[in-house]
Amino acid sequence: MNDIGSLVVRLLDETTKTSVGLFAPELVLSGTIVLMLAFRVLPGLNRIPTQWVALLGAFGSFALALCQFDRLVTGEIPPTSFFTGMLMFDQLGTFFRMFLSLFLILTITLTVLTGIPDRDDAADFYTLLIGSTIGMMIMASANHLLMMFMGVEMTSVPSYAMVGFLKGRKKSSEAALKYVVYGAGAAGVMLYGISLLAGLTGTGSMPDMAQRLGMIVSQNAGIGDATVRTILLAGLMVLVGLAFKLSIFPFHFWCPDAFEGAAAEVAGFLSVASKAGAFALLVRFGLSFTSTSAAVSEVGFSFGIGLGVLAAATATFGNLSAYGQTNIKRMLAYSTIAHAGYMLMAVSALLVLAHGKQVGLDTQGEARRCIEGLIYYLFVYLFMNLGAFAIVSLIRNQIFSEEIEDYNGLATQCPVLCFGMLLCVFSLVGLPPMGGFWAKLVIFSAVFKATAVHWVMWGVLGAGAINTVFSLFYYIRILKAMYIKSRPAGARSVRYDLFPGGVFVLLICLPILGLGILPQGFTDKFHNIADALLTQIGR
Amino acid sequence: MEHLGEKLAALLAIAWLLPLLGFTIEVFGGYWGARNCKKAAYIAIGCIAAGFVCSSTALYLWGSETGWVALESASHGGHDEHSSATDDAHTAGDHGGHDHAATVVEHHHKQTVFSGCFYRLAKFGSLNLSLDWYIDSLTLTMFVMVTLIATCIHIFAVGYMHEELTDDYVDHQVHTHDGCHFHRPGRFYRFFSYLSLFCFAMLGLVLAGNIFQVFIFWELVGICSYLLIGFYVERHSASTAANKAFIVNRVGDFGFIIGLMILWTSFGTFSFADQHAADGKVQPGLFSMVRGSDGKLEATDGIVVLKTQQDEHGHWQVPPDSSQRKTIAYTLLIVAGLGVFCGCVGKSAQFPLQTWLPDAMEGPTPVSALVHSATMVAAGVYLAGRFYPMFTPEVLLTIAYIGCITAFVAATIAIVATDIKKVLAYSTISQLGYMMLALGVGGWGAGLFHLITHAFFKSLMFLCSGSVIAGCHHEQEMPKMGGLLRKMPITALTMLIGVVAIAGLAIPGTSIALSGYHSKDAILATALAYTKLNSVHFLLFLIPLLTAGITAFYMFRLWFYTFLGKPRDQHLHEHVHESPLVMTVPLLVLSVFAAGCAIGGEEGVLFRMLTHSQPGHVAQGFNGLAAQTVSLPSHDAIHKVHSTAGSAALLAAFCGMTIAYLVYGLGLVNPEEIKKQARAVHAFLANKWGFDDLYDTLFVKPAHVVAKFAAAFDKLVFDEILHTVVRFAVVISKWDRKFDEGVIDGFVNLVGNSTYSLGIGLRGVQTGRIRQYVTFIAVSVVTLFVLLFAFYPKG
Repeated sequence: MNDIGSLVVRLLDETTKTSVGLFAPELVLSGTIVLMLAFRVLPGLNRIPTQWVALLGAFGSFALALCQFDRLVTGEIPPTSFFTGMLMFDQLGTFFRMFLSLFLILTITLTVLTGIPDRDDAADFYTLLIGSTIGMMIMASANHLLMMFMGVEMTSVPSYAMVGFLKGRKKSSEAALKYVVYGAGAAGVMLYGISLLAGLTGTGSMPDMAQRLGMIVSQNAGIGDATVRTILLAGLMVLVGLAFKLSIFPFHFWCPDAFEGAAAEVAGFLSVASKAGAFALLVRFGLSFTSTSAAVSEVGFSFGIGLGVLAAATATFGNLSAYGQTNIKRMLAYSTIAHAGYMLMAVSALLVLAHGKQVGLDTQGEARRCIEGLIYYLFVYLFMNLGAFAIVSLIRNQIFSEEIEDYNGLATQCPVLCFGMLLCVFSLVGLPPMGGFWAKLVIFSAVFKATAVHWVMWGVLGAGAINTVFSLFYYIRILKAMYIKSRPAGARSVRYDLFPGGVFVLLICLPILGLGILPQGFTDKFHNIADALLTQIGR
Repeated sequence: MEHLGEKLAALLAIAWLLPLLGFTIEVFGGYWGARNCKKAAYIAIGCIAAGFVCSSTALYLWGSETGWVALESASHGGHDEHSSATDDAHTAGDHGGHDHAATVVEHHHKQTVFSGCFYRLAKFGSLNLSLDWYIDSLTLTMFVMVTLIATCIHIFAVGYMHEELTDDYVDHQVHTHDGCHFHRPGRFYRFFSYLSLFCFAMLGLVLAGNIFQVFIFWELVGICSYLLIGFYVERHSASTAANKAFIVNRVGDFGFIIGLMILWTSFGTFSFADQHAADGKVQPGLFSMVRGSDGKLEATDGIVVLKTQQDEHGHWQVPPDSSQRKTIAYTLLIVAGLGVFCGCVGKSAQFPLQTWLPDAMEGPTPVSALVHSATMVAAGVYLAGRFYPMFTPEVLLTIAYIGCITAFVAATIAIVATDIKKVLAYSTISQLGYMMLALGVGGWGAGLFHLITHAFFKSLMFLCSGSVIAGCHHEQEMPKMGGLLRKMPITALTMLIGVVAIAGLAIPGTSIALSGYHSKDAILATALAYTKLNSVHFLLFLIPLLTAGITAFYMFRLWFYTFLGKPRDQHLHEHVHESPLVMTVPLLVLSVFAAGCAIGGEEGVLFRMLTHSQPGHVAQGFNGLAAQTVSLPSHDAIHKVHSTAGSAALLAAFCGMTIAYLVYGLGLVNPEEIKKQARAVHAFLANKWGFDDLYDTLFVKPAHVVAKFAAAFDKLVFDEILHTVVRFAVVISKWDRKFDEGVIDGFVNLVGNSTYSLGIGLRGVQTGRIRQYVTFIAVSVVTLFVLLFAFYPKG
C-alpha cells in the first residue's frame, strides 16, 4: 500500500509540477473548445462570434508554444519526457506544436474570410478543427506507442466529420464515409502492429524499444529468425497507419475523394497539418530503431530503403495521376500525394544514413541535413499549399466552380489572386527563387548523400528529379488557363480581388519568396532542431 | 597664386562646359518644342554669352592679379639673351614670365601660367590620360575671342536660319525624282545644338593641358565640322563636301597620331606643363624635357638628351647619371614635329590638304564664319603655336614653306572665283598660310596676332556675305549682284571695313590703320628679317609680299563687284533688302573689333598680351650656322627691318587696291577681255591649280578601282565560298530536321504520350468503390511484407 501511495504521490507531483505546464498549448486549445461549446449553450453568450474565440485560443496556444520553444533553445528548460513518459518535450515536438498552432490561426482566418461554416455550425466546425489540431500536436510529441495511436485517432476522427461537414452535398458525405472506413481499416492494421511490438518488447515506450529489441534478437539474426520476422511485420503495420495519414502509395486512395468532397479550406488544412504531425511521428518512430545491435539497425535500415521505394512510387503516382484531372481540388489532392512522396524521401534518406553502414561520410551530419530538409519543406509547404487552397476557395466563392476550365482568363479580373497562384505554383514546382526550390534542393542533396550508402537511393533520386519535370506540366495548366486563355463571354466575373482575400493571399505568399531568397536564417534554425533531436537519441 | 589658378580654371571650365549643357538640352529640341520655336537658339546664345562673360572675367582676374605684367613694355627684349641664362623665371612650362622679367624684378615670381588636372580618365602603366588645363595669356585671349565671335555668330544665325522655323521646309536645291522640290521639317534646333557642341569642343581644345586631350577635342571639332558642312544633307554637294572634309582631315590626323606615338614612346608623357604629383614630386612636361629652363635645344651626334631632373634652383637639367638619361634621336624629334604639324595642315587647310575648305562652304554661312574661318581652321595655327617649343628649326622651315605656298596658291585662285563665299574661303586659306609662315620664320607673336585679327575680320566678312546671300535670296554668284550698296548700306559698309582690314591698308606715314595692317606688317617684318639671315630662302619674303598685293586686289574686287556698279540681274536686284537688326547688329559689333582690336600694333594691348605667352627661346632668335641649319631672327633684328617691310607691304596693298578699282570700280578694262587674253591661266586658276583633278587621279580613282576590284573579289570569291558553305549547311540541316522530327520528336512525343496515357490509366485505379479500397489495404500490407521478406538479408 505504501508503495502504491508513494507512487500516486509521485504521479500527482509530476503531473501538477511539470506535465501540466508543458502541456499548456494543448490545454489552452482544449479550454477554447469548452468555452465555445459553453457559449453556445449559455443564453446571452451565444451572441459572441465563435470564430473570434477560436482565433483567440489559437493565438494563445501559439504564444505558449513559442515561449516554450524559445526556452528550449536557450536551454532554460531541458528536453524531458512528461506524463510518465507518454509524451516528449523537445525542440522537434515543440516546433511542430508551434507550427500547427500557427497553421490553425491561418486556417481560422481563411474560414472567417470565406465564411464556410455558417453561424449555426461555427462552434461545431471550430471544435472539430481545434480537436484535430490537438490530436496532431500529440502526434508530434508522442513518445509512446499508445500515444501514437491516440494521436492518430484523435486527428482522424474530427477530420472525418470535417470532410463531411458540407451537409447536403452527396459527394461530401460519400467522401467522409470512405475516409472513415479507410481510416478504420488503417487504424486496425496499425493497432495490430503496435500490439505485436509491445508484446515483443514488453513496453510501449519508443526510446526503450531499441534496447529491448536488442536484448531479444541475437546480434546477427537475419530473416530466418522468427523474432526478426515479427518485428518486421509489426513495424510495417505501424508504418501503414502512418502511411494512411500521409497518403503514401498504396494507402492514398482516400485522399483524392476526400479532398474533392471536402471544402477547399478543410482540404488545405488536412493536406498540410496532418502531414506535419505524421512526419514528426514517423521520424521519431524510425529513429527508435537506433541501436547498438546490428540486427535492430538492419531493421531500421530496411525500413529506410522500403520507404525510399514507396516515396519514389508515391511521387510518380501522384504526379502522373494529376495529369488528367479537370477539378482543381482533385488535382491539388494528387499534388499533395506527390509532395508527400518528396518529403518521404527525406525520411528514407534519414533512416538509410542513420542505420546504414558507415561509409566514411559524416553520417550524423548528413542525417541532420535530412531532418533539416524535411522541416524546411514542411514549412514552405504550409504557405504554398495553404495559399493555393485559399485562392481556390476565394475564387470558388465568386464563380461557384472548382473546374480548371472555369479559370480561363481570370488574370484580367483578379490579378492579385492570380499572381498569388503563380507564386504558389512556381514554388510547388520548385523553381527558384521560390522557397520550394530550396526545399527540394536540400532534400535531394540529402538523398544524394544517401546514395553513398545504398544504390537504391540513386533510383529514388532519379525518380525525384524526373517527377519535378513531370509536375511542371499539370501545374502550368492552371497558369495557362488563368493567364493565356481568354475569359469566355458570359462567365461569372470575380469582383473582389485585393480585398479582403487578396491581402491574405499576399500575406501567405510573401514568406514563399522570403524563404526562397533568404533561406539561411531558417535553415540555421531547423539545423538546430535536427541537431537537438539526434543528440537526444544518442547518436 | 595657386588660388588664382584654381579660380581661372573654374571660370574657364564653366565657359567650356556650358555649351555642352546647352547641347544636351537642345539636341532634344525636336521632342520638347515645336519646329517653329526659338528656344533652342536662346539656350545656345545664353550658354555661349555666359561663357564670354566668364572668359572676360577670367582675363580681367588674371590681369589684375598679375599686375597687368603682360602689358608692360617689351622693349627690354634685347636683354633677354643675356639674362635668360641666369634668370630662373624663364620656364616655358611652369613659370611663364620670361621676356620682360629681367628688369622688373618684383615680377619674377608672379606666376602667369597655370596648369592642373580636372579629371584623370585612365592610367595605363605610366601613361596618364587625363583632362588637364593649361592657362596662360594665349589661352585666355583665345577664350575671349572664341566666345565673343561665337556669341555674335549665334545671334546672327537666329536671323539667318529663320527659314528653318517651319514644319515644312522646302529645299530648292534638292529635287526629288518627280521633279518637285524636297520637303522636310525645319532643323532650327538641330543647327543650334550642333553649334553648341562645336563651341564646347573648340573651347576644350584651347583649354587642353596635354597633347592627347588636344587630339580628343581636335576630333570633336572635326565631327562638328562634318555635321555642320553636311547640314543640308539631302544636297548631294553638301554630303560630298562633308565627306571630303572628314576624309582629308583623317589624312592629317594620321600624321598627328604618328607624332603622338613618337612623343609617348620617347617622352612618356603627353602633358605640356610640369605636373606636380600629390607627394610633392614634379614630373617634367614635354616642353621642359626638350627645352629645359633656358630654352636651348641641344643635339650631340644626332641625339637629344632630355632634361628630366631638377637642380636645386628648380631648373630642368640633363641628369648627371647617364643611366637615368632619357634620349630621343634628333631626326625622331623632327618626325614627331612634322607629324603634329601634319595634323595642323589638315585642320588649317594648308597645302597640300587645302582642297576641303572651299567645298566646306556648302554649310550654312554662320558655320562658315564660325567654324571655317574664325575658330576651327585656326586651331591648326593655335596648336602649332602651342607646340612651338617642340619644333626644331628644320620643322619650322617646312612650316614656313608650306605656309608660303598655301598663301600664294589660295590667293591666286581667289582672283578668279565668282562665288562670294568661295572667294572668302580661298582668302581664309591664304591668310592661314600667312600665319603658318609667320610661325615658321620665327614670328610666334606675329602668327598668333594675325590669328586673332583674322578671326575678327574674316568672321565679319563671312557674316556680311551671309547677309548678302540672305538679302539676295540665296544667290551666291557675284556676277549676278552689283550695286547693292544702296540696298544694303550697313552690310556694305561693315564689309568695307573687313576688306580694308584684310587688305592691310593704312594711312602712309602714320600708324593709323585697321587690324589687318598691323598683323600682316608684323609677319612681313619677321619674314624680311628671316631672309636677311638666310638669304637662300628669299622667296619666303617675296612671295608673301606679292600675295599681300593679290589679297588687296581680290578683296576689293569682291567688294566692288558686289556693292558698286550697276545691278547685273535686275530681277534679283528688285527683291534685295537689307537684313533685319538681329543680323546687322552682330556685323556692327564685329566691325568694331575688326577695325580696332589691334590698335597700337606691336606696342598695343593685344600683341603684348599674346607675346606674354611666347616660348622663352623665341625672342633671342637662333644662330643656325653652328648647327648647319637655318637661323631664326631675334626680336631686335625684326624690329630693325620693321619700317622697310611695312612700307613694302603697304605699297603692295595699294597697288592691288588700285588695280581692282580700275578694273572693277571704274571699269576701265573689261575683265572678260583679260579672261580671253589669258585663257590658259584663267582656266588653270579656275581649275584650282588642278589639285582636285590631281587628287582625283592619284587617290580617288585608284581607290575606286581598288574598291571595285575588292567588291568583285568579295562577290565572286568570298560570296561563292560562303554560298557553298551555306548550301552545305542547308543540306545538313534538312537531314537534321528529318532526324529531329523523326527520331527526337518521336521519342519525346512517345514519352509524353505514354506518361499522359499512364496518368489517364492510373485514374482507373481510383475506382471509388470502398470495398476495393479496404481490400487494397490488406493486399498492400501483404505485398509489402512479401517484398520485404524477399529482399531482407538472410543473416
